[in-house]
Amino acid sequence: MLGTSVPRKEDARLLTGRGRYVSDLRLPGMLHVAFVRSPLAHGRIRGVDADAARAAPGVVAVVTGDDPEVAGRELRARSSLSSYVETAQPLLARDRVRFNGEAVAAVVATDRYLAEDAADLVVLDGDPLPAVVDARAACAPGCAAVVHEEAPDNVLVRRRFEAGDVDSALAAAHLVVERELRTNRHAGVPLEGRAGVASWDAGDGTLTLWSGTQIPHMIRHGIAELLGLPERRVRVLAPDVGGGFGVKASLYPEDALLCVLAIRLGRPVRWVEDRLEHLLSASHARDHVYRVRAGLDADGTVRALDADVICNAGAYSLWPYTAALEPLMAGGLLAGPYRVDHYRCEVRGVATNTAPSGPYRGVARPATVFVMERMLDIAAAALGLDPVAVRRRNLVRAEDVPYTSATRLVHDSRTYGACLDAVLERLDYAAVRDEQRRMRGAGRALGVGLAVYNELTGMGSAASAGPRMPFRTGYEMATVRLDPEGGVTVLAGTTSQGQGLETTLAQIAADELGVAYDDVDVRMGDTQGPYGFGAFASRQGVIGGGAVLLAARAVRDRIVQIAAHLLEAAEADLRVEDGRVRPVDAPDLGISIADVARVAYHEAHRLPEGMSPGLEETRTYDPVRGTFAAGAQAAVVEVDRTTGEVRVLRHLCVEDAGRVYHPAIVAGQIEGGLAQGIGGALHEHHVYDPDGRLMTATLMDYLLPAATDVPAFEVGHVDDPAATVTGARGVGEGSTLGVAAALANAVADALSPWGVETNTLPLTPSRIHAALEEAT
Amino acid sequence: MKPAPFRYVRAGSVAEAVAELAAAGGDAKPLAGGQSLVPLMNLRLARPAVLVDLNPIAELERLEVEDGRLVIGALVRHRRLATDPLVAAHAPLLAEAARWIGHGAIRARGTIGGSLAHADPAAELPCAAVALGAELSVAGPGGARTLAAAALVDGAYSTRLAEDEMITAVRVPITAGPVGWGFAEIARRHGDFALVLAAATAVPGRAVVTLGGVASAPLRIDGELDPQQREEAIAGLAARCVELCEPAGDVHATADWRRAMVGVVATRALRDALRC
Ligand SMILES: Cc1cc2nc3c(=O)[nH]c(=O)nc-3n(C[C@H](O)[C@H](O)[C@H](O)COP(=O)(O)OP(=O)(O)OC[C@H]3O[C@@H](n4cnc5c(N)ncnc54)[C@H](O)[C@@H]3O)c2cc1C
Repeated sequence: MLGTSVPRKEDARLLTGRGRYVSDLRLPGMLHVAFVRSPLAHGRIRGVDADAARAAPGVVAVVTGDDPEVAGRELRARSSLSSYVETAQPLLARDRVRFNGEAVAAVVATDRYLAEDAADLVVLDGDPLPAVVDARAACAPGCAAVVHEEAPDNVLVRRRFEAGDVDSALAAAHLVVERELRTNRHAGVPLEGRAGVASWDAGDGTLTLWSGTQIPHMIRHGIAELLGLPERRVRVLAPDVGGGFGVKASLYPEDALLCVLAIRLGRPVRWVEDRLEHLLSASHARDHVYRVRAGLDADGTVRALDADVICNAGAYSLWPYTAALEPLMAGGLLAGPYRVDHYRCEVRGVATNTAPSGPYRGVARPATVFVMERMLDIAAAALGLDPVAVRRRNLVRAEDVPYTSATRLVHDSRTYGACLDAVLERLDYAAVRDEQRRMRGAGRALGVGLAVYNELTGMGSAASAGPRMPFRTGYEMATVRLDPEGGVTVLAGTTSQGQGLETTLAQIAADELGVAYDDVDVRMGDTQGPYGFGAFASRQGVIGGGAVLLAARAVRDRIVQIAAHLLEAAEADLRVEDGRVRPVDAPDLGISIADVARVAYHEAHRLPEGMSPGLEETRTYDPVRGTFAAGAQAAVVEVDRTTGEVRVLRHLCVEDAGRVYHPAIVAGQIEGGLAQGIGGALHEHHVYDPDGRLMTATLMDYLLPAATDVPAFEVGHVDDPAATVTGARGVGEGSTLGVAAALANAVADALSPWGVETNTLPLTPSRIHAALEEAT
Repeated sequence: MKPAPFRYVRAGSVAEAVAELAAAGGDAKPLAGGQSLVPLMNLRLARPAVLVDLNPIAELERLEVEDGRLVIGALVRHRRLATDPLVAAHAPLLAEAARWIGHGAIRARGTIGGSLAHADPAAELPCAAVALGAELSVAGPGGARTLAAAALVDGAYSTRLAEDEMITAVRVPITAGPVGWGFAEIARRHGDFALVLAAATAVPGRAVVTLGGVASAPLRIDGELDPQQREEAIAGLAARCVELCEPAGDVHATADWRRAMVGVVATRALRDALRC
């Protein structure tokens, strides 16, 4: 099964409209919530007048930040990093609002129309305070806006990564290039926005939350702590979820407030965010500024890297990853797959009056790869070297592995160079350069850009220590259960937002157990199942898959034990395949797994002495360090010099995902990430006006990539199995990492005769045109 | 994103629609394709108390030649403009402009009357209508009147239609001699509203450029065209376009870029109009 593109388990349901999403749930007596959101970016709240709303038709309750059940509760994302300034996020703004879109009241009514009608009547009486939206301005001395009193300089976290002797290495370098690079502010925009239904069962004191969350177990913990409920009495279910990309991997005030309301009202409450709310108040990401110096030898060897990184953390440190999420990732992985011995990177997470930043596919690395790859191209141009040569000179090579980076990450990937080679071969690099010369002769600007990147995936307990959260997210748990007729149910701690995990986990279990794929069902996304940390950091396939493999292996061992006992054979003489346990020397004989299961449950007296009845095992898997996935991309673009428009002619990607469970799913992950990356490089950008009002709160202004923006991708593989139990390397985020880098390099390459650099994203026509005007 | 409460009425005739509009005392809106009005209502940026649905009115779907004019009923959809042979024969510029509107689903519902009445500064059809010297048939409680397309818009999203008036038809003059035409647009993505657009028409010795996206209303700029010095004339008129417009910047593009692009789209449209 593994390695083939079997039909996806979830497709019958999802493709025929039978998916079960949170918004499909209808509970008796269910009420609907609409939030009143602040038009102010920063202000002191004098009062929230909800009298008219309370009297409006259909309204059951209106709560504000002053409500005693709300005021006493706040989310606190914790970290023991020494520089981390812990701040609180209220469930509804109280005293202060800190960003445009922050919820100041919640209206509960019998339907969402009436809830919105009443929400309209709520009046926020607030005095504007000075607002700051730019992170560098926020941490500059004397900034008039202070987002949290605990951090007068608005710096919520800072850390310095340092190895070697950067100053001497820079002083000794043949060339030092220094640049400032900026990345654009992204939204996640999954097809399905955030959604939740909370229900309180007063009979036995249990709370159930159906949520589109990527992290049900962590959410349960957060909610139980916040509400003072025993964790065992809180159940979180993530049913079918229409995409997440990271923006559903935090616990939001809205989620927690739904639970407060359900308990208070004794009726189920539902909230399904609309696109406006999503763009305003779900987490944003990648609003970073990098100031970088790179020192190189004449042959292109990178001697040293010195960087100062400012990440816009937004108004709150989101639970659980904190404002340190992006800065730490940026500082830890700026050098990517390159050997850089002398390394210094100072990172800061800075509070501003903007929506909180949170995880988004790739977490910081689409930005760091852009920065590193731009620096390499800028340096290559200055040294008169080919971009390929500079990359080859610096990549971690197969013989360097295991390679410990300056930030103490252990690279286990041997294929950075192989990925680059494969991309160049498929591209026919020399032919593209010839074509470029021909086109230039005709006055046209064709460019080719490269990016090589890596992603630390499947982070185990050691690798996930960095953020110093009270959670070490290093393992996953799975149960493999046979029923009395031999059917297999996999219960996993993972969650799926459409990545096909039901399919891949079933493939793993079927192969390991020696049963048919169709005989395996997978259940996940329920805190009553085995424990797991959820979907982020390209971890579930590697870690969750590993847990399923180990649990299936344990069950198979039990099956063999029982069969050996029943057949009076030695275990070593038996093997399991096609649903039967067969003697190696008489494969037509033996006993079916179904018969073994029946005995295990219904005729337990026939089991080996001392073996307990039933047939299920639970295992955890912790890869301890994690594994590096590798990738290389190339983009070929044509830039229209009169308008600044960019046309992506070709986009190639070769990834090392280790062992590929399901080629079509892997291709889907890679192509989806590339499309998202193209959107991020060319179009997507959240913009606040200087007063902190979001100017891009609809999809007419926040521009997602459309079919016409995306070329037919050329995807290839270099499959070098990892030392993980399944051999897989994570593939969920990977391809997103290199797109902005490859495209920015391609545009700069196209415009190199005019000396244009592309160090600010996104690459809009207006920006490119201005750069050309300035250069000529 | 749910609309504020409203009453919905289906109008069976123009007279009925006008009566409903008048009865609401300024608090009613005609509903045509709903492709602009419904999103605005969902965002609660528009809150009409009454929605008068024009869709049942068959006469608003007429498309025919009458008295030397192409008469286009207010409910004619963008897709029909883009594909109907009569439009292709008598107002090819309008057909081309309609092809640039949004996506298939939007063109299938959106109407010419709705687009003109909505008066989005970056919309294609208002510019095309101005470029073609179209006139609008307007119905109101006092009867019918005619309004030049060029006189319709008095600001961004604002027209000189009274609150109880509606457009019933657009009349495009069919010119006797040959008219060259061209249309050019730049948008962020395929199907997006224009960042800048230009519609050009040319008759011997003269050309007119109508610009969209750079002012609150379509901006009409005309000039002489010396057939002996066509390139210079095009450059000169494009330069005048750049000079006479004062575009604003927004999240999609700076004012400087828009201004520069006015020259680009004007040149492209003029080249097409002059077939060079
Ligand atoms: C995603 C998207 C993309 C789009 N892209 C474009 C684009 O690129 N270019 C473009 O031009 N448009 C675009 N549109 C808008 C589209 O063209 C609309 O169809 C058009 O602007 C309005 O026409 P309608 O028939 O839908 O009018 P409605 O939405 O029904 O009404 C619009 C306004 O006109 C009024 N109205 C309607 N009919 C009449 C009438 N006969 N008399 C008086 N008033 C009337 C209404 O009361 C309302 O105020 C887009 C829309 C969407 C949703």
